[in-house]
Amino acid sequence: MSTNIPANLKYTKEHEWALVEGDTVTVGITDFAQSALGDIVFLEVPDVGSELKFGNTFGVVESIKSVSDLYAPVSGEVVAKNSDLEGSPEKINSDAYGSWLIKVKIKNTEEINNLLTAQQYQDFCNSSH
Amino acid sequence: MTELLKTSLHGEHVKLGAKMVPFGGWDMPVQYTSVKDEVIAVRQNIGVFDVSHMGEFFLEGADAEKFADYLVTNDILNAPHGKAIYSPLCREDGTVVDDLIVYKLRPGKVLICVNASNIEKDFNWMKALHKDFDCTLVNKSNEYSLLALQGPESYAVLKPMMKDLPEIEYYSVFETNFGAHSVIIARTGYTGEDGFEIFGSHAAIKELWVHLMEKKVTPCGLASRDVLRLEVCYPLYGHELTDEVNPFDAGLGWTVKLTKTNFVGKSTLERKKAKYKLVKLTLDKGIPRENYMVMDGAGNSIGTVTSGTMSVVTGKGIALARIEIEKAPRDEVFNIDIRQKAYPAKLIKKSFVTGGHK
Repeated sequence: MSTNIPANLKYTKEHEWALVEGDTVTVGITDFAQSALGDIVFLEVPDVGSELKFGNTFGVVESIKSVSDLYAPVSGEVVAKNSDLEGSPEKINSDAYGSWLIKVKIKNTEEINNLLTAQQYQDFCNSSH
Repeated sequence: MTELLKTSLHGEHVKLGAKMVPFGGWDMPVQYTSVKDEVIAVRQNIGVFDVSHMGEFFLEGADAEKFADYLVTNDILNAPHGKAIYSPLCREDGTVVDDLIVYKLRPGKVLICVNASNIEKDFNWMKALHKDFDCTLVNKSNEYSLLALQGPESYAVLKPMMKDLPEIEYYSVFETNFGAHSVIIARTGYTGEDGFEIFGSHAAIKELWVHLMEKKVTPCGLASRDVLRLEVCYPLYGHELTDEVNPFDAGLGWTVKLTKTNFVGKSTLERKKAKYKLVKLTLDKGIPRENYMVMDGAGNSIGTVTSGTMSVVTGKGIALARIEIEKAPRDEVFNIDIRQKAYPAKLIKKSFVTGGHK
């Protein structure tokens, strides 16, 4: 399994990554997740303006064989959606950290404390395998 | 938890870095590199699957063919020796115990290849029906390994490895030697492409696997096998076929030969009308999955998806779905419920992909 885990990002136990910049959080799925899923062929993420709630599902990512829920790393409003991925979700397989899904305007910055650091996520991935 | 069974090639799969998953009690490779690449290898070139988990039963004796013919719905007696015949195995009430392939090896010798998860069920079923027939019935599943070599290059790659391999037709079977081993080679498969299934001892199959890897044949896992069979609309036991449906419900009426004098389930199947029909649906958007609800244009539930995936060849969502015949929409408007949203699905008559088998 791949262990590409950039130090500047935060993570969830459901294998999303989050880049925190002020009150904007960019969200994607980790290299570990894309590798576990295999060929990604379908992506469903909420439109701009939708409200996310921390820990709730906000979309799905599908590989040829499986459907996986996406979990919101923070609560807030979706302010951008990566339209590049709509026709070619397989880009996530080749560059998981360059292929962001959505940007969220965070409601409560304290929620960021719920997220794992790169080291914690690395330990989590190691312990679950 | 009971220990998962391992095929004789388990170590080879692990060495190649395959992702292993439990399947029918076995620890099997689901994919090696990418499902997409493995599907493309089989459609355009060549791939090999370890399907040693499948079951092999041998019937030997004067009544071997007669017994096989009595067990299954398709016609075994009138097929020549050297032929392979696909058939459901039914109960008296017409429901399907399993689907299998009967190989008429030579007079008095028949091989039946069954699904891995049904080995015990099938063997017990056959054993109970066996007493009036003059032949032995032996489960040799533990002694045999099985490779499925699939794709347009299969013959060219396999021929030089075998002592003798004539260009037998599709759905034929042939006994030959591979090095010091005797093997059974059938021109069958589960992908729609030309290809061979090679039954042999664990030692023979391991040797063959090594040769095939040296020839750079793509190792393929269960995930690509499932996409390949679904693209050409082959049924899978546990999905399109179950203990609850009869062959007519699963679009397998062509395998039920009511003109045969007698076979298990005949009296029921003669009177039986299909309650369901299996339809092929394709979607421009969304990927159908097993158990998703199928609806008519007005949103009424009319059936369920039995198998669904994204086709690698067409790039679209494809599904086989079991529809209640009475509710089948005349206007042929279908929708599939994906996460509480109706996605339009188009009914097609032919398979999603045309395989290249001869």
